Amino acid sequence: MSAEGILMLSPDELYVYRGEGGVLQGVIAGKTYQELLIYLAFPMSYTNGYVSVRTKEGDELGVVRDLATLDQDSAAVMKEEIELRYFLPRVTTIVSIKQRSDRWFWELETNLGSIRIMMRNLHEHIHFPGGDRILLSDLDGRRCDIENWKLLDAHSQRMLRDIL
Amino acid sequence: MMDVLPEPYRSQLKEELLFNVKTDLDTQGMLASQWLAITYGEVRLWHQGAQPAKQIPIEDIKEARAVSNIGSGMLIIETKNGPVVVARYTSTLTSAMSFAAKLISALAQGDELPVVTKGDIPQYCSNCHSPMEEGTKHCEVCMSKKYAALRMLGYLKPYKFKGILAACLLILSTIVELIPPYLTKIIIDDVLQPQQPGAIFAIIIAAWAITLLVMSSMQALRGYIGVAISSKLMGDIRKEVYESLMKLSLAFFDRRQTSQFISRVNSDAESMRQFMTDGVIYIAGHVLRFLFILVIIFSMDWKLTLLALVPIPLLVFLSISIWPKVGRRLYQQWRAIFRLNMQVGDTLQGIRVIKAFGQEKMELARYHTANEEVVHHDMRSEKMWQFFFPAFGLITSLGSVLIWYLGGHQVLSNDLQLGVLLAFVAYLGMLFGPIQWLSQMISWTSRAMTAAHRIFEIMDTPADVADNPEAVKLSHIKGDVVLQQVTYGYEKHHPVIKDINLEVKAGEMIGLVGHSGAGKSTFINLLCRFYDVDEGVITIDGVPIRNIEQSELRRQIGVVLQETFLFDGTIAENIAYSKPNASPEEIMRAAKIANAHDFIVRLPDGYDTRVGERGHKLSGGEKQRVAIARAIIHDPRILILDEATASVDTETERQIQEALANLVKGRTTFAIAHRLSTLRNADRLVVLDRGKMVELGTHEELLEKKDGVYRKLVDAQMEMSKIKGVGT
Repeated sequence: MSAEGILMLSPDELYVYRGEGGVLQGVIAGKTYQELLIYLAFPMSYTNGYVSVRTKEGDELGVVRDLATLDQDSAAVMKEEIELRYFLPRVTTIVSIKQRSDRWFWELETNLGSIRIMMRNLHEHIHFPGGDRILLSDLDGRRCDIENWKLLDAHSQRMLRDIL
Repeated sequence: MMDVLPEPYRSQLKEELLFNVKTDLDTQGMLASQWLAITYGEVRLWHQGAQPAKQIPIEDIKEARAVSNIGSGMLIIETKNGPVVVARYTSTLTSAMSFAAKLISALAQGDELPVVTKGDIPQYCSNCHSPMEEGTKHCEVCMSKKYAALRMLGYLKPYKFKGILAACLLILSTIVELIPPYLTKIIIDDVLQPQQPGAIFAIIIAAWAITLLVMSSMQALRGYIGVAISSKLMGDIRKEVYESLMKLSLAFFDRRQTSQFISRVNSDAESMRQFMTDGVIYIAGHVLRFLFILVIIFSMDWKLTLLALVPIPLLVFLSISIWPKVGRRLYQQWRAIFRLNMQVGDTLQGIRVIKAFGQEKMELARYHTANEEVVHHDMRSEKMWQFFFPAFGLITSLGSVLIWYLGGHQVLSNDLQLGVLLAFVAYLGMLFGPIQWLSQMISWTSRAMTAAHRIFEIMDTPADVADNPEAVKLSHIKGDVVLQQVTYGYEKHHPVIKDINLEVKAGEMIGLVGHSGAGKSTFINLLCRFYDVDEGVITIDGVPIRNIEQSELRRQIGVVLQETFLFDGTIAENIAYSKPNASPEEIMRAAKIANAHDFIVRLPDGYDTRVGERGHKLSGGEKQRVAIARAIIHDPRILILDEATASVDTETERQIQEALANLVKGRTTFAIAHRLSTLRNADRLVVLDRGKMVELGTHEELLEKKDGVYRKLVDAQMEMSKIKGVGT
């Protein structure tokens, strides 16, 4: 089936860069935009492709199929922007999981630094998207990603096994 | 508590500090703290060093925005040289940063400065860092030192007299239970001696028999009281959970699958009841017995007693060490069942779709996976017991072996009477019996705790839309509705209704028009106060709806929704849903106005026709007319219609239209309109686009706007009907 109705952006139609103020800017199909927003169409399954590029009002300008096809600079900026926009720290170590009254407190080490998240319960805050991946969400709507819990260190695995 | 700006930073400010926030991400998106400060003259951000990382004079600023990302956000300031990302933060700080953005914009544009409210600054407990509910001073998590167990026992309060009676019987029967072994001692050591007269023997045996009789009667009586308390208790818990569910706001149910609550209300309440009635009596009984026996055997032979107590520290250690594990295993088991229940609930609700797509096998496979998981967790936690029960048994038997060995030696060397040894062993059996059952106790208690946590979770969830304590009742309303600067988002700070201002006079009919997702349904949800507005105010006859009792408000508002839901019951009961004491005439009159009377009367059971879950026996158009009749009998001053898009045949549509026209007469009406006929009938149309009100006027006025949103919508609809016309 063709992607009719979806405007796929070809690499030569798109050039993005970070403006002086740190905002994502770019030239798309010959037009310059002071501020661009990007959305991953499949934030869990494809983190390097199917990127919807939109104006700050949210109107779609087009979709990039694969970041790898873009010029190096644009691809690097896009990747960086995705990391910034989708706050999903990847868990490297589980320091502790404590239950106190009806709250669960997780102390985690992630690729973005240490974070403490809080859950009201486990059954609504732990998700299993498939395979050995685990997504943790906290009361504030923040999420942390355990890409493969079987690859974590022994201590972290023991902590998880205890509750999962 | 708002974090206080550190002195080294504060001292750099030349003007009064208006607002400051400690952010939790740096500009590269790493978890780190930065300080943002806003004064009349500038916005400053410090990263680590003493020098600010960013410094923007207010005079260079056009406006500021808090942009929501996924799990995080950024504060963007539009300067004269283009947009600048001033700070990044995780979603924990969304509300504080939204306030910062509003404040900066107001400063830049010379508007009145917004006042910070409690809701803008999330409150955190200084002790455990949990967020605290708005308006509370104490942290819920730290406060609940009042453990679930104590709270659970609180349910026994209404039954305290019966409970005290049961406790007295328990103490008495425990004492009586301890008599037989002592009688054994007397029989062996004093009675079964050749020189003793037979009369004493007979008396002792009679005493034994009486003891047994008294014991059994007391047990029966205690059991009887126990059952009486437990059934009522179970009812109380179920009632309270259900009340809590009814009290919760719609937003709570939006995010959850509802079938899960069926099992919660029943099975969790049962686990709690079991603990409170059987469990409490069981535990109390055994603890009492343990203490009594200890006293008796100490008085008989303190050395042997000490020996008998050797295994106890080991048992206590074992119990303490397995306790947390048991709790977690049981919660795992609970979650597995919870997922299975959700799965079944999902499947049954979507059974039509499953059948239509022929996906039964896939659903079976999904069920199978969830079922396997339950089996796995069941086995895991049961296996644990299969280990612990014998382990407890073994440890306690060791005590008996020791006593038999040393006591036996003493009897052989005539240091101890045989009767004392036998009584001792019998008491020891009674002493360790309960300790072996300590494991049973742990099982019951933890099961009850798991259930209690889940139940209290429901009870403790605050209602998002709560009644104001000073809420008023409205005796009679005219139906003037005013919306002032109304903004709302299901996810706070991602508004789907933005800054709406509208004045509607009593009796006026307003048509809500817009693409799907424009905010029409949210608009009517706000009018019904299913959700509270984030900003602005909605008033009815000048009274803000937040200050009107919810039950009263809903009494004044009638709703006919797109998805018609009929309750399990007769058609008459469904029509009289909001007015259960309506007379047959009233019901028929309402049905007549709704154009439903004729088809209902033609049904074999007429108004007494049972309509099952979701009213399966009626057609779409019929159900809708019953729903209209329900709204008519409710006789609301304000009416909300969510017009069905489902296509019905022309005759049915005409009847529904006619019914609706009858219904709206003299009432303030808000209708989500799709049909041109409804649009033409409306006094004014509100055109929504991405949450904003972009056009307002009559059908004719709006059609005149060549590039107007409404004009485009109407043109598109005409086009569609042409295509349909060609197609048919």
